[in-house]
Amino acid sequence: MNMKRSLLPDCAEAGYCCDKKQYNEASFLEKIKILFHLALCKPCRKYASNSTKLTKLIEKSNLKSCPEEEKKIWKETIEKEISR
Amino acid sequence: MSINEIDPTKWVDKYSDYLFNYTIARVNDRELANDLISETFLAGLKSMKNFKGEASERTWLISILKRKIIDQYRKINSNKGRAEVKIKYKEDSNEGDWLEEQAPDRFDKTAEDMMENEELGLAILNCMEILPEKQAKIFKMKTIDGVDTETICNEFHITPSNLWVIIHRARMTLAQCLEKNWF
Repeated sequence: MNMKRSLLPDCAEAGYCCDKKQYNEASFLEKIKILFHLALCKPCRKYASNSTKLTKLIEKSNLKSCPEEEKKIWKETIEKEISR
Repeated sequence: MSINEIDPTKWVDKYSDYLFNYTIARVNDRELANDLISETFLAGLKSMKNFKGEASERTWLISILKRKIIDQYRKINSNKGRAEVKIKYKEDSNEGDWLEEQAPDRFDKTAEDMMENEELGLAILNCMEILPEKQAKIFKMKTIDGVDTETICNEFHITPSNLWVIIHRARMTLAQCLEKNWF
């Protein structure tokens, strides 16, 4: 029973493993778990494929985040202007 | 239609990434982009009373930013031109003599692609706006900035499994949103 549980995760756990895989942080065991789960579960297969797509889109979009220091400066400036 | 409220204290948190990506795609210079955005915020503050609430705050800020970018282009154009040397082909048949010109254009990166990628980036940021603030912040750190799990956990005082739950929720919402608007 224990063995079965450890190899056949529920959907929630499979989902987390899928996410970890997207960031290359899934362990070998987790990868195996995903394989087993996806073989049996159609909704999770859909999620896995969408998640992979999402990763690719984000990569492709070349999004940059605005540096935090700048944000801080802007916030201060805005607050100063308001209080004037 | 509901009237949109204006609240400058939240501008930076809510819109700076959107504005930043919008600007960087057009001026291709981080420093300059930062300057333009800070000018935009200031101009926005000054003309706050003109905000009628018909458009969303972001649209309104973008419209200010657009003017700033156009002004910037004008400035650049008035500086150069005087000292510009234009090399022209004497005859059409000479076209393509330069080695660089004989090489084909890079087929994997056309102007159209870049435009599409920019739109895509803005669409993703757009979808991120529906995420709760903390989720969006953590997701951005993890996915866009590539900060490792441990650092994020320490910063937000959460456990790794908390982090994965947050990431999972964010990714589900985003995937759904993009499925509607992009895929």
